[in-house]
Amino acid sequence: MRRGDTTDVTMSRNGRRLLVLFFGAFLVFLYLPTVMLTVFSFNDSTVVAFPFSSFTTRWYEAAFENVEIRKAFWASIRVAGGTAIVATALAVLVSYALARRRLRLKGVISALVLFPLVVPTVVLGIALLILFRPNGPVIPIPLGLWAVLIGHVVFALPFCILLLLPRIASIDRRIEEAAFDLGASWFATFRRILLPLITPALISSLLIAFVISIDEVVIASFLVQDQVTYPVYLYSGLRISGQTQLLMPIATVMIVVSFLLVLAAEFIRRYGERRLGVAK
Amino acid sequence: MATRATATAPAITVDERRRWARRLGDRLSTWSMTLPAVALLIVFFLVPIYYIARFSLGLDRFAQNEAAAELTGEFADFTTKLWADFLGPGVNIGILGLTAFHFPTWLIGVVFVLLVLGAVFGTKLRRRGGWIAVACFALLLTPFLTIPAGNHLIRVAELSSEGDRLRLFFRSITMATTSSVWAVLIAFPVAYFLAFGLKKSKLTWLLVIIAPFLTSYLLRIFAWKVILGDQGLINTALVEVGVRDPDHPLSFLIYSQFTVILVLLYAWVPFIVLPIFIALENMDRRLLEAGTDLGASRLATFRKVTLPIAAPGVVAAFLFVFIPSMGEYITPSLVGGTNGFMFGQAIALQFVGGTLNWQTGSVLAVFLLAVVLFLTFTTSKFLRQGGGATA
Repeated sequence: MRRGDTTDVTMSRNGRRLLVLFFGAFLVFLYLPTVMLTVFSFNDSTVVAFPFSSFTTRWYEAAFENVEIRKAFWASIRVAGGTAIVATALAVLVSYALARRRLRLKGVISALVLFPLVVPTVVLGIALLILFRPNGPVIPIPLGLWAVLIGHVVFALPFCILLLLPRIASIDRRIEEAAFDLGASWFATFRRILLPLITPALISSLLIAFVISIDEVVIASFLVQDQVTYPVYLYSGLRISGQTQLLMPIATVMIVVSFLLVLAAEFIRRYGERRLGVAK
Repeated sequence: MATRATATAPAITVDERRRWARRLGDRLSTWSMTLPAVALLIVFFLVPIYYIARFSLGLDRFAQNEAAAELTGEFADFTTKLWADFLGPGVNIGILGLTAFHFPTWLIGVVFVLLVLGAVFGTKLRRRGGWIAVACFALLLTPFLTIPAGNHLIRVAELSSEGDRLRLFFRSITMATTSSVWAVLIAFPVAYFLAFGLKKSKLTWLLVIIAPFLTSYLLRIFAWKVILGDQGLINTALVEVGVRDPDHPLSFLIYSQFTVILVLLYAWVPFIVLPIFIALENMDRRLLEAGTDLGASRLATFRKVTLPIAAPGVVAAFLFVFIPSMGEYITPSLVGGTNGFMFGQAIALQFVGGTLNWQTGSVLAVFLLAVVLFLTFTTSKFLRQGGGATA
């Protein structure tokens, strides 16, 4: 091992030290801002400033008692939950068709479903604002949370498909063929064979769509009417300074929650891969 | 399936009929599976984009009657005047801020298209095409290359315009490029260390790096606002130590181009590590050993072997950040102030802000969309390379 180090072709010993230092500095750069935010959300002072005066949870109490924040939060949860379910359901169906069926216009359809990925969210937001505007073209949906939900489904769909499509394609075709040969209908095969096999990917798709929606502010800011979603509330709060102390506790909670959700999604995905590996 | 069908007897048997029924059922179910998503995207994605295009040509308007249209300055019929207003003023190319050459916008557009096409098809022409691609991209970017130095950005060369909105577009591109280039420069050593410096638990470290990217974007901006503000942590700490007095905070820290570039960089850098790491991780280590065995120094091996192999991953990483940064809206509106104002904000302001002219806003939106789509489709080879590895 020692000797292997001296003949390492990728970096010299000093180069390695430098890289370790750089890597450490990078991690500090990456995590310091959020750590600071967390620490100062417990600071007993009306301005966010050094030095740290004393520990308090009063900002947390104030934030959780704030009716507006609570309403915005629940609006976001509803929209995100809806987005997760609708986007994942649509993504499963279309991924299955793309992965397994002979389909005319396959290229066009897969390009279409991934298209929203490259459209700037500002453009998507105003496009939907034009569609849902009062006295606009005949879409019987007014601006509001339903419009936000639709926008988020369009936005999250490609991400769900990118998660689900490779998973479905990687399942051994012969399992399904065996089921067909034993007389199962396509629906039964779908439900009894495919769904159990893609459950982990399905769960991470739900989580990703949820996280995308609950964090999305651009599309939402164009489409909300009187009931704002949580990120929109936060966004408008951040534009008016002075309110920051009240926003910090929720920011902290949100960071921790979305962090945990993402980690959960990742572990479920890895677990699923291991299980599929065993199945093969 | 097909071969089996032709192998059976020509007479239509019960078995045959059943197979036909199943095929029909398959086709129906295929369409019923595809239709919901496709219909959703047509109605709520393609149709709205079509409407933006209509607005940009004066075929639709926000105002409901003549009086209101007078107020917002919208057109009632087909017109190309909005486009002429936006693109007409032409482009100035300045070098080190000393001399400026004036060109019509269409000429710059043609050169831009040719450069990108050259970069993409250059890779097909020769074996060392990867480098040609990188060189073309570099050429494409030098006009925008800037070096942040305290309050100022030193421009090597600069695209500018007499037209306010076109100038704003170039400035946004400059900011997006600067933050993307710096993000790549920072991410490369990190990816290199992950791929070659660590023997085990690479994936765990990778997850540690990527995790912040997946948490709330808005809140990461918030964190920087708390740190960089005039009353923020850096400035109050400086006062505390006694370096600055409270009346003169380091004001460039917030509401400036610098802040927007820093925050964009911070937001995207974890994500950019990924494609570079994958390119490095997948390369054949024996090539490196072959290089040293043949007497090349580490630096030569890095330059001649590692870098060319990693180049597509680096290009993919750059594009992953650059494309979304061009239309950025939230970051500049929270930490940009008037100095860091970007094109995405100009679009939004026409729809929900003070100026309110949906037709002008649509022109800007269609333009941004066209540039983004052109870049995405021509470079999809690189993007797929990086993206495929990600998925």
